[in-house]
Amino acid sequence: MKILIPVDGSANAQRAVEYVIKNAAMLKETPDVVLLNVQWSVATGNVKLFINQQTIEDYYREQGIEALRTARAALEAAELPYRYHISIGTPAEAIVQYADEQAVDQIVMGRQGQSGLRTLLLGSVVNKVLHLANCPVLLVK
Amino acid sequence: MLEMLASAQFWMDVFKIIMIDLLLSGDNAVVIALACRNLPLDQRRKGILFGVGGAIGLRVILTFFAVSMLALPYLKLFGAVLLLWIGIKLILPEDEHSTDSVQADTKLFGAIKTIIVADFVMSLDNVLGVAGAAKGNIVLLVFGLLISIPLIAWSSQLVLKLIDRFPFIIYAGGALLGYVAGEMLVSEALFSALVEANRYFHWLIPMLCALLVLLVGKWLVMRKVEIVRAIDLVDEKVPVKSESKSGMER
Repeated sequence: MKILIPVDGSANAQRAVEYVIKNAAMLKETPDVVLLNVQWSVATGNVKLFINQQTIEDYYREQGIEALRTARAALEAAELPYRYHISIGTPAEAIVQYADEQAVDQIVMGRQGQSGLRTLLLGSVVNKVLHLANCPVLLVK
Repeated sequence: MLEMLASAQFWMDVFKIIMIDLLLSGDNAVVIALACRNLPLDQRRKGILFGVGGAIGLRVILTFFAVSMLALPYLKLFGAVLLLWIGIKLILPEDEHSTDSVQADTKLFGAIKTIIVADFVMSLDNVLGVAGAAKGNIVLLVFGLLISIPLIAWSSQLVLKLIDRFPFIIYAGGALLGYVAGEMLVSEALFSALVEANRYFHWLIPMLCALLVLLVGKWLVMRKVEIVRAIDLVDEKVPVKSESKSGMER
C-alpha cells in the first residue's frame, strides 16, 4: 500500500505521520510511505532576472528539507522505509498531481488547526485536496 | 486634512493604493532573502538590513520623481499607457523564461548591489501605480509608501496565498490599474478642453480603460491556456538502516 503524506513541518502534519507509523503494524505488509513537501514558487518572473537558478533551487531545497525534518526523524526512529519528495508549486494542486503520478493508494493529511480568520482569508490546503484528489484522503485529527 | 479623512473619495483612494501595493511589490522580499543567502552568517543580517533600507530609500526617491514627472505635459499620456500595460501583465500568467542571470554574490557589497538594482527595476510598476492613484495628494503618497515598506521586508507568500484563495484578485487588480490609467488620461492637460466639454468622460474613460485591461488580459490568457505544473525538485528513497536493525535482531 502506497501512502502519501504531505508535510509542511507543522504539528498537524506530524500527527498524520505518527498516525501512519502507529497503524503500519496493522497492515499485512509494510506500507510504502512517501513524504511530500511543496514549496510555494515565490521566485518567478522578475526574481529570475536577478538571482540565478542555482541559488533559487538551493533555497527551495533548504526550506523543503527543513519542513521534512521532523517527519523523517519519526519514520527513521520507527524504522519504516520511506521516500521523500520536494515539489515547487501551489500546494494543493502539487499534492494531487504527485499523488496521481505516483499512483498512491491513499493520502493521509493532518487537519489544519488554523483559526477562523486565517482560514477565511487564506483557505486551506486540506479543503482543496479533498475536492481535487482522485484517491481516498484520510484526515487525521 | 480632517475633512479629507471624512470623504468617501479619500478612503476609496486608500483602498486603491493598498491593492496596488499588495499586488505589485511581492517580488522584492524574495530577492532580498535570496541575494543574502550566500553571505556568511554574520554579514547576512547586515545585508538584509542595508538591502531593505536602500530599497525603501530608493522607492521614496522614485515615487517623488514619478509624481514630478507626471506633472509634465504628455507624460501622463505615457504613464497611462504604461499603467494599462502593467495591468494586462498582472493578469497574464508568468512566462517561464530561463535566463542566465547574475552570479550569486558571496560579498556583502555585491548582495546589496543586486538588491538595489533589482528593486529599482521591480519598483517601477508599483511606484507608477501609487503615484497615479494618489493623484498628487501628498498624504496618500506617503501612506502608499508606508504600506509598501512591510511588504518589501516580509515574505511574498501572503500575496501568493491570497491569489490562490481568491483568484479574482488578479482580475480586480488589473481592472483597478486600468481605472487608474483612465483617471490619469482624463487629467492629462492635453485633453482638458475635451474632458470639460463632456463631463461624463471623468468616469466613462476610467471605466473603459478598466474594461480594456480585463478584455485584453482575458483574451491573452485564453490564447495560452496551459496549466502550470508543479516542478519536481528532490526525490530520494530512504531504506531502513539495515546494519543497526540486523545487529539488534542477532
